Amino acid sequence: MPTATLRAHRCARLALSWMLLALGASTVAGTAAGATPKPDLIVTGTKPDRLFIIDASTRSVRAEHRVPGAEGQIFTIIISPDQRTAYLLVDRMERIVGIDVRSGREVFRADLSTPQERVKCFFAMTISPDGKELIVYELPTKLEPSEYVVEDPRFAVFATDAGLSAKAVRSFTAPRRVHTLLARPDGRSFYAIGFDLYEYDVRSGKLLGTRGIQHWQIPDHTTPDLLAFWPVTEPTGIFTSPVTTEVKRGSESVPTTALMVLDLKSGDLAYHDFEPLSALIFSTVLSPDKHHAYGVYTTLTSIDTVAYRLERRIPLDHTFYDINVSSDGREIYLGGTNCDVAFYDAATLEKKAILKLPGCSDQVLSTLRVIHDR
Amino acid sequence: MSELKPTNRKAELLLDAVDDGHLAEVLSMETVAGCATTFDPGWEVDPFGGVASLCQPMEADLYGCSDPCWWPAQVPDTMNTYPNWDAGKPSAPADWRNLDSVFPKK
Repeated sequence: MPTATLRAHRCARLALSWMLLALGASTVAGTAAGATPKPDLIVTGTKPDRLFIIDASTRSVRAEHRVPGAEGQIFTIIISPDQRTAYLLVDRMERIVGIDVRSGREVFRADLSTPQERVKCFFAMTISPDGKELIVYELPTKLEPSEYVVEDPRFAVFATDAGLSAKAVRSFTAPRRVHTLLARPDGRSFYAIGFDLYEYDVRSGKLLGTRGIQHWQIPDHTTPDLLAFWPVTEPTGIFTSPVTTEVKRGSESVPTTALMVLDLKSGDLAYHDFEPLSALIFSTVLSPDKHHAYGVYTTLTSIDTVAYRLERRIPLDHTFYDINVSSDGREIYLGGTNCDVAFYDAATLEKKAILKLPGCSDQVLSTLRVIHDR
Repeated sequence: MSELKPTNRKAELLLDAVDDGHLAEVLSMETVAGCATTFDPGWEVDPFGGVASLCQPMEADLYGCSDPCWWPAQVPDTMNTYPNWDAGKPSAPADWRNLDSVFPKK
């Protein structure tokens, strides 16, 4: 069977699978309204241009979409509030493409660069709670005939209904070295995480406040470092990230891992030490009951967020970059490297399944998101 | 700084800035003309001075370093200069043997 026919056949099968599953879900919802929660759908991307929607309950791929203009990789994935559209940072960080999660249709495109100006978005973008605006962190470089001129970074705002040739409707000054943007649920401001935690007014671009990271003031702690470019806040609306610092104890400095906890709704920010630096953790996620956080790198870690102590740690088959948790808190999802999406028991950290994505291309830092049928 | 010697004019300017008290004006940047998003030292050692805590295996981390220009000394700059280095090789564990070295264009 020719490749194109095979692909069409597989896409048709996936579409049918989606319809049957959606029908099943709606039937269940119809017979026992609210009794059966809808299954988690995991969203991830792979090289060079694939977006996958995975049914976590069956460990199967519900949909595989080709992303036009991806040009090699899918980095940050932002989900619209109605969970119908996935906004993807692609094309070497110079393009944002919006894909309808169900149909795979391209519904939005913003090319950040022009022939005169090369613009990169280093992972950082977010969407307003009403779904109407994308906020994108832009790093522009003017390409002159004989030199490159590094310009000031900026936040650019795009209307999500602008179609396939979206242009920024407004922009304002941004600090350097920002790598995560997180919109607050009240719609008035957003956080930018970089050297510090900044908060900006969405409309005016006014800087509303700056709090530690680099300028945190915790006695006997050195300036922390963090690697945070997976803007996962589901299911709690709270962003967490491991940070590393050194804690002065007598004449010694002890490298220490802490957890940064940022509540997007209340604005509460906290840092909690939980162990001497004994293992690296790339990303973390908070459980629905907020009593545990799970972190991943080459090990999988469970953290008690009541006492802030290490609960469990197990070695993994290979490094995973990013982590998420099921909506009921019972399973941990891992992704971001190779073509593996892994499922682990949240209580025991026992491995339950590994899903090899079709085609087995690398995920390459792609954000692992959890959504539900609407 | 006394043990570091400038090897070009830009480096000399940095020393001048130190002498003139203008060091604060020298800012780190990211994603500029070429491929330097961070100042991480690279794959040589982990924070504990060994290699056990580096990404394992290396292939799990290879494109995660080349695509965002993480360690340009070790992997080609696919963001700007060598965008097709890994074209047609979407799986580092399966395709790493087919990845070539790159050389500056003359």
